[in-house]
Amino acid sequence: MMLEVTNVRKDYGLPGGGSVTVLKDIELKVEKGESLSIVGPSGSGKSTLLNIIGGLDTPTSGRVVLDGVDLGGLDESALARVRNKRIGFVFQLHHLLPQCTVLENVLLPTIAGKSGESKEQAESRAVELLERVGLKGFSLHRPGELSGGQRQRVAVVRALINRPGLLLADEPTGSLDRDSSENIAELLVELNRSEDVTLIVVTHSSKLAGKMGRFLQLEGGTLRDGTGAV
Amino acid sequence: MNIFRLVYRSVLFYWRTNVGVVLAAAVSTAILAGALVVGDSVRYTLVSSAEARLGKVELAVVGQDRFFRAALASDVGTNLGAEAAAVLEIRGLISNSDGSRRANNINVLGVDEQFYKVGGAENPLSVAADEKVVLNSALAEKLGVGAGEEVVLRIARPSAMPREIVLTPKTDMSIAFRLEVGAVADESAFGNFSLQANQISALNAFVGLGWLGDKIGQGGRANLLLAGADGGDKLTVEAANKAIGECWQLADSGLELRRLGASGGLELRSRRVFIEDVPAQAATGAGDGAIGVLTYFVNELRLGDKSTPYSMVSAIGKGAGGIIGADMRNDEIVINKWLADDLEAGAGDTIELRYFVVGPMRKLVEEKRAFRVRQVVAIEGMAADVNLMPEFPGLSQVANCRDWEPGIPIDLDKIRAKDEAYWDKYRGTPKAFVSLEAGQSMWQNRYGGLTAVRYRAESDAEGMANKILSAVNPASVGLFFEPVRSQSVKAGDEGTDFGQLFLGFSFFLIVAAVVLMGLLFVFGVESRTQQMGMLRAVGFSPRVVRCVLLLEGGVLAVVGAVTGTGAGLLYTRAMIYGLGTVWRVAVSGSEIVFHVRGSTLIVGMGAAVVISMIAIWLSVRRRFRWSVNELLAGHSEWQFFGLGAYGVPGQAGKRAEGRGGLLLAVVCFAGAVGLLVVMALSTSKAVAGYFFGAGALLLVGGLGLSQAVLTLVGAGMRRPADSVAGLSMRNATRRRGRSVTVVWLLACGVFLVIAVGANRHNPLAEADRRESGTGGFAFYAESAIPILHDLNSGEGRERLGFDSQKLGDVDFVQMKVHTGDDASCFNLNRAQRPRLLGVEPQHLKKRGAFLFAKTIEGGNIEDGWGLLERKWGEGVIAAVGDSATIIWALGKSVGDSIVYTDKNGRSFEVLLVGMLNNSILQGSLVVAESDFVERFADEGYRVFLIDAAEKERAEVSEELSRGLRDFGLEVTSARERLAAFSAVENTYLSIFQMLGGLGMILGSIGLGLVVLRNVLDRRGELSMLRAVGFERASLKRMVFYEHSGLMVAGLAIGTVAALVAVGPVLASPGAQIPYLSLALTVTAILVSGLGWIWLAATFALKGDLLDGLRDE
Repeated sequence: MMLEVTNVRKDYGLPGGGSVTVLKDIELKVEKGESLSIVGPSGSGKSTLLNIIGGLDTPTSGRVVLDGVDLGGLDESALARVRNKRIGFVFQLHHLLPQCTVLENVLLPTIAGKSGESKEQAESRAVELLERVGLKGFSLHRPGELSGGQRQRVAVVRALINRPGLLLADEPTGSLDRDSSENIAELLVELNRSEDVTLIVVTHSSKLAGKMGRFLQLEGGTLRDGTGAV
Repeated sequence: MNIFRLVYRSVLFYWRTNVGVVLAAAVSTAILAGALVVGDSVRYTLVSSAEARLGKVELAVVGQDRFFRAALASDVGTNLGAEAAAVLEIRGLISNSDGSRRANNINVLGVDEQFYKVGGAENPLSVAADEKVVLNSALAEKLGVGAGEEVVLRIARPSAMPREIVLTPKTDMSIAFRLEVGAVADESAFGNFSLQANQISALNAFVGLGWLGDKIGQGGRANLLLAGADGGDKLTVEAANKAIGECWQLADSGLELRRLGASGGLELRSRRVFIEDVPAQAATGAGDGAIGVLTYFVNELRLGDKSTPYSMVSAIGKGAGGIIGADMRNDEIVINKWLADDLEAGAGDTIELRYFVVGPMRKLVEEKRAFRVRQVVAIEGMAADVNLMPEFPGLSQVANCRDWEPGIPIDLDKIRAKDEAYWDKYRGTPKAFVSLEAGQSMWQNRYGGLTAVRYRAESDAEGMANKILSAVNPASVGLFFEPVRSQSVKAGDEGTDFGQLFLGFSFFLIVAAVVLMGLLFVFGVESRTQQMGMLRAVGFSPRVVRCVLLLEGGVLAVVGAVTGTGAGLLYTRAMIYGLGTVWRVAVSGSEIVFHVRGSTLIVGMGAAVVISMIAIWLSVRRRFRWSVNELLAGHSEWQFFGLGAYGVPGQAGKRAEGRGGLLLAVVCFAGAVGLLVVMALSTSKAVAGYFFGAGALLLVGGLGLSQAVLTLVGAGMRRPADSVAGLSMRNATRRRGRSVTVVWLLACGVFLVIAVGANRHNPLAEADRRESGTGGFAFYAESAIPILHDLNSGEGRERLGFDSQKLGDVDFVQMKVHTGDDASCFNLNRAQRPRLLGVEPQHLKKRGAFLFAKTIEGGNIEDGWGLLERKWGEGVIAAVGDSATIIWALGKSVGDSIVYTDKNGRSFEVLLVGMLNNSILQGSLVVAESDFVERFADEGYRVFLIDAAEKERAEVSEELSRGLRDFGLEVTSARERLAAFSAVENTYLSIFQMLGGLGMILGSIGLGLVVLRNVLDRRGELSMLRAVGFERASLKRMVFYEHSGLMVAGLAIGTVAALVAVGPVLASPGAQIPYLSLALTVTAILVSGLGWIWLAATFALKGDLLDGLRDE
């Protein structure tokens, strides 16, 4: 089992006292190489769940086990290592550094922790990945010189540079036009297969969700599959 | 790709924001490094002036009233392989030819070519010329004379015998000459020669060594020996003193071995008449039947109603020539036949001797002692030895008794014909003889207890001289070198640290620049919050993200520091310009030379980088605590230096916060009122402390109140804001952290600027009171030539030719002076051995003069002057000094001590037992006269504190200046003297106020940045307001009201609290509050702040505000 989410609950405190429960007893098991989408209305807690899975947030209760490692037992720096080596993130906003070139943006995760690859190997993988997403000729461009779709593709490549086992995408097409959204969806599916990376996508888009191997719905803090409870 | 590349990319990409950070860092560096370079420049100026004062001189023997052979200099120089020069240094006064301009207290230096060799300079007179004088530039300028013009030079005439000895004749204390100015010597011609560590040029007049020696009766002699070496050849004190030991002769201590004509015996005598104790001991212990002789001039020898006036009586060691037998008792006397006949006395009769000794204030006290006649001897053999009478000036060389001028009052009517006949026949041959013990118990004084030592006829003069010399340490007769150069350089090095001083003055400027830099950096970082989140999300640890940011900050700080260092030199130039013009008083008018040391710039740069990094760290540290999600979401709750970091509490939280502020305000206000009440009821003198405490509490309370108002008003607003002003108020209450921070920074800054700026005082307000800085005295006077007489006595005044009517009730406190460093705020050097003033402590004690700020542990502060009379242990004497002298000029505190060397080369400690409040005694240390005269040359009084009634002051000043014109008396109003000292302190305060005000103005740019940040934060909200119909001008007004209200609140709180804190100063009669400049400073801060607010609001609100809505 690649990912096991057990009994996860997330509450948020309210300024005037009391709290609101966003996630209730979430259970989720994901196999290696699987692709799944999570859909749900705004405020349903999709991103919160994704952040908890990715170690960017902590559950109020419950466990998240990734490749046999309980994320709740890790300290800040161990979590950072897990994110760096085992998880790739794609955000709705690409969060590229405008000061760096496309290639440098892609290589950012490689300087956050030692990957075991040499600098040349990392660069060569970055170039290869950029070529695969059709951006080979843009490696020395700045993000400001790219279109929205191109930027998001760079963000995808950045997420894959360290060969993570799990790719988490939070509304990856949310800020793109239709054509670009289509391209990104295809790219994610293709990479899921070719890179053998487990893919979890949080989206509003039923089209994107439909391209995933499994389809889950989050509503009222509970996770169900397209036809019923998981 | 690596971290450094990322940093490099970021620094370049965000160059617009970074330029601001770099500029702010550059400004802080410029001010910091610039201030330090001011210190370099002042230090360089001091050391350069030391170099100019001393030329190549390394060591000096300072003889003062002791004269040695001028040839000793060449002997010592040859022995050392160094240049050495003999100099005569005498105090004097000088005026231009018509007397319209004069200078008192000048140094008259008798020099020869050798002096210029040691000085490493050219003699400005190519041909040595008598009757010509060379003036240094400072003196020539003061007199307004140049080469070829005439001046009248009056110099102190040294006496062969110390003037304090009763028998020293009252010859003129000074002599005057009309001389032509041969040249004016500038620094390059060694014109500024002086051994005193002072950046202010001494007033020097140079004349020929031989000429001066002849005129003052010291031909072939000198009282100052300078030794110098080239470059790296350092002379050591040890080597030089050893050279003295090998070269010196008896004549160098005024001693002389001479063969007596009649008896053929050998006699040691002194030019100073009395042989000092150390050589006397060596001479009497040298064998060859050495016998001590003490001959004295007695007023009268009486038996019953018969008396013999004015006679010599010798006290002689026992066993000499049969006159004083081994069994002679100390109450027995041997008289010669003439005296026996005159008094009709015989063995067994009791004769009374009357003689003068010197009492306090050189008052003559006639004492008497009775002796039983042991024997009457014929006038033959030793009893006929006229040589027993020493060379008393005014006695030994005169032809008849009526020409005697022995220094004591002589009643010529008492001199009979037979006395004249005796003088004609036997001159000063003693008429009576007592034992040496008896003589010394009557006539020994601090200058010695023997007038001669006699040896057997067969004694070898040279061998005896060597014996004596080898038994005497030359230092004991004042022949010892002092390391004058190292002392001078040390004084310059340790002098007033203008670097630190200007760092202090520039504190607000530096803080303002650093705050600005922090704000700008935060500004930059804030716009990249999401980047930080992304980096964290892809696996960067918080530590690495922190490193990236700090590295960026470091690069900016370094670039700013390098840029700022150059600008710092401009800042230094500006400060030096200020010190040469408007702040001239702070450096006593000295010209400060710009000088920069590389190491200082590196230190300044390094310090600026460190400060910048700390500021950056403080600015962004909390950001590292945010979660990745918060960062990714663009968390931007603004905070700076951890201040104003408030969450978003609910109404209940707001009220609690508001109540906290209110509670703080109430407690602080109550505390302030309580302190003022306690102060009003207390009799304590620590009023200033109470007021400052109350002011500080008001400041904190005011800030608490401002927070409470912002919070409670915000929480309690139920009614919709119905005006632009109402909206402003609501906005101000929303970001309370930000608002309170603005108020806090402004209030604290203004509080300090006003509190320090207002703290100046006019010391003249209560200057007539005894406890004031004037000691209640009307005048402070200083003479170039010592005055021996008691100016309070009718006799003293009469001898000085005063009109007793005009001086009437005028009262004097007279002080002896031992030359030393000026330890006042006028001297930028660190005084090593300050000038000492010897005074009778009772004179000040009974007047209750001056106010003691502190006394040594165990001392009673009400009886500070009494501490001078206490014994403090062997080799320790007590001293009292002004607080500025002790703390600033000496860098010491009460209880510390300073080592001095006495006239006999012995070290002793001057223990600081008391410290006076700011006073006219600044610059010197005051010791008891009794301690003074035991240790130093004693030539009368040169400093005078003068009491005179208000209405008589003008007349008294005129009479004193007239009567003591030839003594070079300079009479200064005590008020003026005190005001001059205070002017220095007040100038420092002005500098602080000005630079502090500039700092606040610079800081107000920060306020503009806050406005900018606020508006950008609320861009969406403002866009909405535009969308619903608000005009741009209305929005600008809203932003302006909101922030200017905060600014006015901050200034008001700071101003009110500061005025309370300096209440005692405001209320004191001596208050000299610079209301105008303080008001201008606060107004300038206000105007500048409002200007920046307006500019920032204009800038932030320009463009299409509706874009903000689309962003939303």
